[in-house]
Amino acid sequence: MSSDAAAATIDHHFDPTTSTGIPNKKILMWAFLASDCMFFGCLISTHLIYRLHPPPGNPVARQVFSIELTSFSTFILLMSSLMMALAVNAIQKGNLKSMRWSLLTTIFFGCIFLGCQVYEFRNFVYEKHLTITNSILGSTFFTLTGTHGLHVLVGVIWLSGMLLYSFTGRLTEKQAIDVESMGLYWHFVDIVWIVIFTAVYLLEYI
Amino acid sequence: MSAPATPAPAQGHELEQSMFWIFVQIAMLLAVITGLELVTVYLPFVKWLLVSVLVVLSTVKFMFVIFYFMHLRWDRVFCTLLFFIGLVLAAATMWALLKLFGAEAGKPLYATMIDPPAIVARIA
Repeated sequence: MSSDAAAATIDHHFDPTTSTGIPNKKILMWAFLASDCMFFGCLISTHLIYRLHPPPGNPVARQVFSIELTSFSTFILLMSSLMMALAVNAIQKGNLKSMRWSLLTTIFFGCIFLGCQVYEFRNFVYEKHLTITNSILGSTFFTLTGTHGLHVLVGVIWLSGMLLYSFTGRLTEKQAIDVESMGLYWHFVDIVWIVIFTAVYLLEYI
Repeated sequence: MSAPATPAPAQGHELEQSMFWIFVQIAMLLAVITGLELVTVYLPFVKWLLVSVLVVLSTVKFMFVIFYFMHLRWDRVFCTLLFFIGLVLAAATMWALLKLFGAEAGKPLYATMIDPPAIVARIA
């Protein structure tokens, strides 16, 4: 990354109307994400505690999980993050057409991720007989990944709303912060999955 | 006279292209790291080493996303501080909970029933 490129980006983010120079919407989003970190931290801790001390008769997670499907979901979510970053980059340059395509692809990837999660949940419940109420593994697993899935769903709805809004003609380079805030939320969903993928899935295979 | 605030169209296009390739390269790197993580779990090494490697790899992925995709690298330091306050609090809470429930007296009841603490075993 050249220093010129970095400097130009910083200038683009500078908001002279606030005392911090940071747009208020961005500060609000970062504060929300910081609080959401603690929320997910507690859910992940709960899952790990009960995995370290499994009760008698608890299902063996390794026999329940499908690492192939989860790895595919992880890849899809990483690619959706790429498309989201490109969408933000496009609107910051005033390229509305490029932003729309990037947003559409992000929505598509988000829907694939959700589809994989629905398939995984159905498989666990009907094939592996793991439900949210019949074991502690089920309770902590479905609560954690379900909460993450809800975040993804909210993100997909938000992205779809923004895509439709872009066709009203009111979304311009000046409103790039709205797309950027949405992007921050979407990337956060991605980083939470990065942690879940390692802490919940991969550690079971060691 | 000061330099114009916005780059010239050609320069802007060049910048857009460079950012595009940076994001694509980072996404490819993240995909490769994910592949490495998958390979790691099947390696015949000691558990603590594999767990450490996984933690490092996922931390690298995490940092790439927040600093590049989330623009923390180019944003004001205040945004980084704000997010890291939450992150550090979350990490500290996780560490505290794991330590608390990892202690002998802090184990869930069913776990102590299967694996009784030394004092209980001695009394029995």
